[in-house]
Amino acid sequence: MQANAPPPIQCRDLSRSFGHAGARVDALEPVELHFAAGETTAIVGPSGCGKSTLLRLIAGLDTPSTGSVRIGGETPLQMRQRAALSVAFQDAALLPWRTVRGNIALARKLARLPPDPASVDRLIALVGLAGFEDRRPADLSGGMRQRAAIARCLISDPRVLLLDEPFGAVDELTRARLNHELPALWQGRGVTTLLVTHSVSEAVMLSDRVIVLSPRPARVVADIAIDLARPRATGAEADALIANVTEALAQSAPPRPQPA
Amino acid sequence: MTIALHQLRRRGADRFYPVLSALVALLMWELLARVFAQTYLIAGPVEISRYLWDHAGLVARAAGITTFAAAIGFVLGNAVAIALAVAAVLLPSLARLISALALVVFCLPLVATGPILRVIWGPGLGPQITLAALAVYYTTFLPLMVGLRAAPPSWFDLVRSYGRGRFSALVEVRAMASLPYLFAGLQIAAPAAFLGAMFGEFTGAERGMGVLTIRAMRSLDVAGTWALASTAAAISMLAYAGLGRLSRALNNGPPPLILAPVLEGERRARWRALLHPILVTLILLAIWWLSMEAANLSPFFAKRPADVWAFLITAPEAAAHRATLGAALLETLVLALPGYLLGLALGLGLAIVLVLAPKLARGVMPVAIALRAIPIVITAPLIVVALGRGPAGTITIVALMIFFPSLVACYQGLARTPRQVLDLFDSYAASPLRRMASAQFPAMLPAFFAAARMAVPAAILAATTAEWLATGRGIGGLMALTASTSGYKMLWSAVVVLAAVAVAGYVVVAQIERAVLRIYGAEQLTR
Repeated sequence: MQANAPPPIQCRDLSRSFGHAGARVDALEPVELHFAAGETTAIVGPSGCGKSTLLRLIAGLDTPSTGSVRIGGETPLQMRQRAALSVAFQDAALLPWRTVRGNIALARKLARLPPDPASVDRLIALVGLAGFEDRRPADLSGGMRQRAAIARCLISDPRVLLLDEPFGAVDELTRARLNHELPALWQGRGVTTLLVTHSVSEAVMLSDRVIVLSPRPARVVADIAIDLARPRATGAEADALIANVTEALAQSAPPRPQPA
Repeated sequence: MTIALHQLRRRGADRFYPVLSALVALLMWELLARVFAQTYLIAGPVEISRYLWDHAGLVARAAGITTFAAAIGFVLGNAVAIALAVAAVLLPSLARLISALALVVFCLPLVATGPILRVIWGPGLGPQITLAALAVYYTTFLPLMVGLRAAPPSWFDLVRSYGRGRFSALVEVRAMASLPYLFAGLQIAAPAAFLGAMFGEFTGAERGMGVLTIRAMRSLDVAGTWALASTAAAISMLAYAGLGRLSRALNNGPPPLILAPVLEGERRARWRALLHPILVTLILLAIWWLSMEAANLSPFFAKRPADVWAFLITAPEAAAHRATLGAALLETLVLALPGYLLGLALGLGLAIVLVLAPKLARGVMPVAIALRAIPIVITAPLIVVALGRGPAGTITIVALMIFFPSLVACYQGLARTPRQVLDLFDSYAASPLRRMASAQFPAMLPAFFAAARMAVPAAILAATTAEWLATGRGIGGLMALTASTSGYKMLWSAVVVLAAVAVAGYVVVAQIERAVLRIYGAEQLTR
């Protein structure tokens, strides 16, 4: 397998429960999932359904209770150690004492790649932060912080990109703009992308495939292919798919308890 | 324009209030000194200035020596604290053990450690430096332990997502994230180092502020005692303010509120809960024994654990030894406990009053924070001179020692009430008292208990110091007597017993804290 080709991701019998006998919480029921190489898959589900747990398991930031994750035949740890994987976090996770430039350069340092100031500045311009290179995160808006976080993800030129509600903390308008501008940066660069979100429209606009999870313990209740041309725009076709996913999401919820 | 002017005036007022209240305090001090000149022995600012003018050279030389010893102790103690905290973070399985050992060493009675260090080190600066280091390491270790863990989990996930481990997390995340906490600790440590150095001088040094203080007190030189204590307080406050300035220059944002973490954290199996203290005790005894043997110290003054065991348990006169020690301990605790409770209650009470009367707080709090910097114990001679050698003096010293840190902790704790909660109470037009009782008071409890825990060793230190220096009663007096008659078995036994009592008191307060906070919301339990 070529080192630079995007790898497929294989989850076998993957589950996670917390606590121990007596007070056990199942965050994720055993799932079988396969994500094709180079595809963008969105994982949607109600709040607290375990989507983030699934992403953390795939990133190897958490240890599964059962099952395993293989990314192109490697373990998540092996992927992380050769810096082939990047994670974008819900809260951007920028270090407040580093500038935008410093935060992005940190990823190369952590990934043990040689410093590359030219690429750092080019990426900053690409995500639309030119002129803010020497600002600290506290001086940036929520949307700008997410732009910086995305730039940090891309600076190590990963083969797998794991996005955990990266635009969850910004307002709807900003989110739409980020959704429009940023994905072009990694799409078509040979990256296998997983996106966790609770926004159905975001899932449809960004991905090749949408997986719908049920409330906890999470199960896969729908697996919908998104065959829309890129660049994408809202329209009847997209609306129909959004309705599809929304329907699946509604069906996944257990019926409300009825009074006896 | 008017807004800018208003802000300017406001800023002027913020500077003006502390200056005004400091002036008022000085004036009241002078007045008190003159009015009560017959009943109490108080020297006012004028008399102190005159003394300092007349003895400028003497006091300056002494202050120089003591500051030098304090500075070296400060550096050494903090280096140890930083090393311990970093070790605890890099080796999480040892974190609890390291914390427990650090607490026990913190509970060592400085008073009795002084003479023991004196015979070990001989003449010179050794004991002063060691005591300064002992006095500072815990005040730095504790906030640093909190600060090193204070970063949000996603920052650590970021480091891990590139396959890096604990060391990278320490360098890239924890080190910078803990800086404000480290400086908060260093700030408290600066006056504590001065206190430690003065303590070392109380026990047989040739020169320094401590020596002059003892001399002035013994000869009932009121002006001298007050002048020396004021000088020591001024140096402490300068060090405190200087570090505060440095901290503000390096960190942005307000200093963090430090809640001392409770040692007994997670729920564990019963046998482990029992095993842990036993393990800590065994390791401590081993360190004690090994360090004495390694340094090849004479068994005449460097007693080993077995000597203390024999002295208190197996020797023919052990029962008599226990009776002497027990009676002295009881005499001390009878004074230390009321002083402890009084200091806590006054600190809590004034904090509540100040939050209800914010205008007053603008003037009082800067002074209170500054006064917290004074190691109250160095004022013990002066309180004894003023109030006499009866129980009132000792209780006052203990209460004062605890009052200022409690006041600051409670006030900061009350200010920690979430804004939305206060808005909720305001939206129902709730009275300030109702708001205090239902919202602010519960939010303050963790800060209060953190202060209450830290105050236990402080109370014992204050009580024994007063006894050692002045009253000659209780276990402090007993230790002073045995130190002067080379009764090292009794002295070492007293150190062991006092440290055990302090640790026990700390654990009892921690248990009360857990019980109370369980009622007021488990999310407030500090780990």
